[in-house]
Amino acid sequence: MNKLERRYRRRLACYPRAFRRENEEEILAVLLACAEDGQQRPGPAATADLLRGALRMRLRPPGSPPRTVRAAIGLMFAGAVAQVATLITIIVTADRVRAAVAHSYPGLAAAQHALNTSLTIDYFGAGAGIAVWLLLIRGLIRGRNRARIAVALNFGVTSLSLAIAISDGTPTWAPADLVAGIVFWLIALAVTVLLVTGASSRYYQPAPRPVTPWRGTFGTM
Amino acid sequence: MQEATYLILTSLAAGSQHGYGIIGDVSSISGGRVRLRAGTLYTALDRLKADGLIAVDREEIADGRLRRYYRLTPDGERRLADEAARLHANARAAMQRLRPGLADGIA
Repeated sequence: MNKLERRYRRRLACYPRAFRRENEEEILAVLLACAEDGQQRPGPAATADLLRGALRMRLRPPGSPPRTVRAAIGLMFAGAVAQVATLITIIVTADRVRAAVAHSYPGLAAAQHALNTSLTIDYFGAGAGIAVWLLLIRGLIRGRNRARIAVALNFGVTSLSLAIAISDGTPTWAPADLVAGIVFWLIALAVTVLLVTGASSRYYQPAPRPVTPWRGTFGTM
Repeated sequence: MQEATYLILTSLAAGSQHGYGIIGDVSSISGGRVRLRAGTLYTALDRLKADGLIAVDREEIADGRLRRYYRLTPDGERRLADEAARLHANARAAMQRLRPGLADGIA
């Protein structure tokens, strides 16, 4: 095995194992056929292309998922990005919020303390939400029906917490928080609807294969 | 349908091809504009196989390395024909509006 082949194999190791078992030797043959004489290192463009391919293969549900499932997973990724953006916004603006509260209520330690507590809850809440969301994406990509049920349950919890927060009229609710909450709730609603359609159900719960009569050869040994 | 997918299916329309052959063929079909790389090609082939548009035709060992040939399935032929007809109709409409006489050239 020459240096170039070893280096290509190292990059191909980023692909899922099942894909590699099926295609590694063949892709390697193509990569080596495309290489220039005396080339010892994969070029940056070839490396980027292999890494992009590996990422795509890892984020792709198995088999031939219907459009509803593809759309639901795409929306889940959009939701994850929105949640991360919300968390970053909370972290970045925290100092400004603290300064504004300190300016409005000088000397009121209780207000500052309540604000710090609320921000800490926000950090952990948003972090936990993102972790759960990513786990759901992982389950859906692996074709797990349980993940589909968990998405529906997660939507129920999201709806309940949003309803409680709105009816509570919690003083910490800023308009931006409310908008972010509603946008996220809409994404969760759309994902849930997409995943309960007939096509998605058939994908995650394929009909059991009919039992074929055993065609063994009794007594021929 | 993405252009790379369309070109891969087109390269298999005349007969089965192996991966390296598809790369060269796609480049010549597109007049050198689309140069597929191995990562892109095999991600697309995997999707097309899963969707039942292509299938493995046969395998060979050439210079000690695996060479797998792919072919269009009847579903793949149908999809490619539909897509080609759609692109043809669009191109014709555009040419007709640009210069009516030109449309006959792609009829």
